[in-house]
Amino acid sequence: MGFLTPWFLAGVVGVGLPIWLHLLKRHKSDPRPFPSLMFFERREQSSVVHRRLDHILLFILRTLMLVLLALLFANPFINRTTPKAAGKKMVVVAVDDSFSMRAAASGTSGESRLDKAKREALDIISGIPATTAAEVVALGGTVQAMTQQTTDPAELRGAVAAIKPSDSRASFGELARFTRTLAESSKMPIDVHLVSDLQKSAMPPGFTDLRLTGDTTLILHPVGGEIPNWTVENVKAPIHVYDPKRVRIQATIAGFGTPAATRTVSLVLNGKVVQSKPVDVPAAADHQPGRAQVEFNELAASYGPNRCEVRIDSADALPGDDGFPFSVERADPKKILFIDNGRHPYAEKYYRTALDSSTDAAFVLDPQRPETAATANLAGYSLIVLDDLGPLPPGLEENLQRYVNPGKSLLVVLGPASVAMPKVPVEGDPIQPGASYAARETERFLTVSDIDSGHPMMKGLERLEGVSFYQAVRVAASKDAHVIAKLNDQTPLLLERPIGQGKVMVFTSTFDNVSNDLPVHGAYWVPFVLQSATYLGGGGAEQPVNVAVDSYVELRTGESKNTAAEVLDQDGKRALSLEEATTAKTYQLTREGFFDVKTASGQRSLIAAHADRRESDLTVIPQDALDLWKGTGSGGAGGDGAGGTADQKTTPWSLSPLLLLLLLLVALAESVVANGYLRAPEERQEGARKEAA
Amino acid sequence: MLQRFLDPAVLGQLKSLDLVAKTVVDGFISGLHRSPDFGFSPEFAEYRAYYPGDDLRHVDWNVFARTERMYLKRYRGETNCQVNVLLDTSGSMKFGSKGMQKLDYAKFLAASVLYLAHLQRDAAGLVVFDDEVRNFVQPSTRQGQLHRLLHGVSEAQLGKRTDLMRPFAHLMDFLRRRGMVAVISDFWEAPEKVIEMVAPLRYRGNEVVLFHLLDPEEIRPKLKHPVMLEDLETGEMMEVTPDYAAHEYRDKMNAHLQDIESRAKGAGMDYFLVDTSRPLDAALREYLALRTGRL
Repeated sequence: MGFLTPWFLAGVVGVGLPIWLHLLKRHKSDPRPFPSLMFFERREQSSVVHRRLDHILLFILRTLMLVLLALLFANPFINRTTPKAAGKKMVVVAVDDSFSMRAAASGTSGESRLDKAKREALDIISGIPATTAAEVVALGGTVQAMTQQTTDPAELRGAVAAIKPSDSRASFGELARFTRTLAESSKMPIDVHLVSDLQKSAMPPGFTDLRLTGDTTLILHPVGGEIPNWTVENVKAPIHVYDPKRVRIQATIAGFGTPAATRTVSLVLNGKVVQSKPVDVPAAADHQPGRAQVEFNELAASYGPNRCEVRIDSADALPGDDGFPFSVERADPKKILFIDNGRHPYAEKYYRTALDSSTDAAFVLDPQRPETAATANLAGYSLIVLDDLGPLPPGLEENLQRYVNPGKSLLVVLGPASVAMPKVPVEGDPIQPGASYAARETERFLTVSDIDSGHPMMKGLERLEGVSFYQAVRVAASKDAHVIAKLNDQTPLLLERPIGQGKVMVFTSTFDNVSNDLPVHGAYWVPFVLQSATYLGGGGAEQPVNVAVDSYVELRTGESKNTAAEVLDQDGKRALSLEEATTAKTYQLTREGFFDVKTASGQRSLIAAHADRRESDLTVIPQDALDLWKGTGSGGAGGDGAGGTADQKTTPWSLSPLLLLLLLLVALAESVVANGYLRAPEERQEGARKEAA
Repeated sequence: MLQRFLDPAVLGQLKSLDLVAKTVVDGFISGLHRSPDFGFSPEFAEYRAYYPGDDLRHVDWNVFARTERMYLKRYRGETNCQVNVLLDTSGSMKFGSKGMQKLDYAKFLAASVLYLAHLQRDAAGLVVFDDEVRNFVQPSTRQGQLHRLLHGVSEAQLGKRTDLMRPFAHLMDFLRRRGMVAVISDFWEAPEKVIEMVAPLRYRGNEVVLFHLLDPEEIRPKLKHPVMLEDLETGEMMEVTPDYAAHEYRDKMNAHLQDIESRAKGAGMDYFLVDTSRPLDAALREYLALRTGRL
């Protein structure tokens, strides 16, 4: 028997409490005044009589309660010996099939690490006794069981042969979790043969995730060593290309354990090398890879999705990571209609300048007078901006409503001309009489006090610090309007309201530098204009198109159940069964390459999946870390506290539930006994009379 | 005979001390037979032949008219003596088991005695003491003396320990004329010491009356459990068992009372044990009856 937390036994001194209550407290009763103690004598006998325990049963129960409580906290356990499954054990052969296993094995001529691992696994299987059950698992990002537990060597060999190289990232933490679960369910000792390149990057963040149970023996079979490796670590490219001449593609070239060298980096567009550049990659040092960046500023992509890749000439042992696929879509710039009546000549200028300053030239501005816009076909515009028009010419509001309702967006800018209007055009929120002026006698200007920093339009804008607002139109925001920013007099500055399927954004101050100085704060103005144009004119959030292997793409939301989604893999084959096409919500990209995805809502995109570049770092786990890992199982002294003979297993068995039950019973008894003592004397006498009767 | 025995608890509810004294004494006097034997009655007692030098105010001119002889009229109560009341206010007087402290009872008793003396037209005085003399009202027959005396009684506060030595020495300096000294105390002292200190008063021809005030719980304490007792004067604590209180203590107490009584009588003093649970007027009546027997 032992205690998990023996320090709590110190709580037994609490037994002194009932002793004090029953013995000493009574002894130290309040003194009774008496005129003189002339005729009294000190007698020891009185104290002895006095110290007699009152309510002995209650005292015992209370003492017992405290002792049980202290024992309960001390968490006692006894070791129970249970027979092990007599002489039986199970063997798990784990073959690492992660991306790094595509590298060439050291000491072989062109054979990959995976092939070597499979050979090793077959050797292990041939050494397993005929009566011992075994299981083959493939270790990638998850542990994939290739067989059930079986004693059939042929089945095991077939499973090993079926293991294909994957593009996933290995995780030894997953393997440890799998073995723990297996040990718990099988109650048998397990020998785990891990055939792997033992990549350091496969270690979980916390070593505790690697722990094995006491019955598990880990046997390692390394199949690769540390070799230098070059890789395209990352590529930053825009999703959409509007102007082939204004594209910025940045690639990071990394060398793990490599010397300083010059590599040729190529930009491949739809299978053709369109640009090549040499880059000097510094030597790796102190376990840090050497890194260099390359930038390409032109991409003559054709309209629609394009398959691109940044590639290097590495001639190293792992050619799979020499290319980094990514996807871009060539599209026309989106047209923004800027309706202005010439009242604020600088507004259009500031707005256009902000749009033109974007690197990808995603938008073009088309200014029009209101009278023209009233009869124009607005369907071709991705966004319309109304710049403080005042009363609208006939037909324009109806035309704008027809434009917004199907799902388009409108940005309404209010200013002095709008103050006299009863409501915001199209959006409909009432305009309160009088603009909010920053008067000289109060404050010289207003500032932004509240902002919804999580809104896509407000990203990086902080609180527009330093921007002064001299005039803003008071708009009474309706219940369904979302106020994104407020001035410090609580006047809404920016509010959004859904209208039909579309939305209307209202900016209650002007876009020139008369009512505020926002347009001259370039650090805020340009992101504000670009983010608002993207948010309002971009058609909503888009699915990321450049992701790592093992990521998931969303195929449908809860609303689109009956339409089919479609995924074409890198080989052009349908990746979904018919059932999956109509029901699956997500699809996991398990291979590197391009996936043509059509979601249930009909949105098509070309998604490029690249292998996790941590797999490119072929550094091996240090031997001491491996020994420590093996030590967590039966190979080490620690284990999980299990011991016993070869045929018997000793496991700790907690006594806490029993003690808790006992404590409950004692507490009940104490309540009953104490209640009996605490009754009024008359009540007790009445009870005694009844009992006597 | 009309008798009204007044419960001390009822007297305690009366705010005014003179009202208490009047209630006690008037009721008690009105119930007495008009007998000349009672010393406090201002009744006619005798004629005495006039000698030169006697006060002419006391000459009975009616007798002189009839007999042409001068006689002086003497009254029973006209003893022209001093009555001094010594009131003990030591800490032990705080004790009281029936809802009334011994000090309150002592105050009523002192007030009643002083009122009686006032009716008798004696010069009455008051000494309030514990281990020091706390208040002293000089004996006098002046107008307002009763008020001063009763005020002195009512203002008496509980003090510390009892020490008869100092107040009695103090009193000796002021006692010029013979008279009566009433000592109201619980006499928690050794009897020989008490008598030793009080006896000098007797030497000048004073009549000394010891009113020994005790609570019934002091005489016969009843304890159900062992208790811790605290001495009201010294603060000493002692654990006492019911058995001891029921037997040994009572024996010692009885011996103490007998000793103090015998020593007091041996020294020519009046001794009267006053049980504070008894009605005050009944106690006073009993005392006066005893006193009458001596006159």
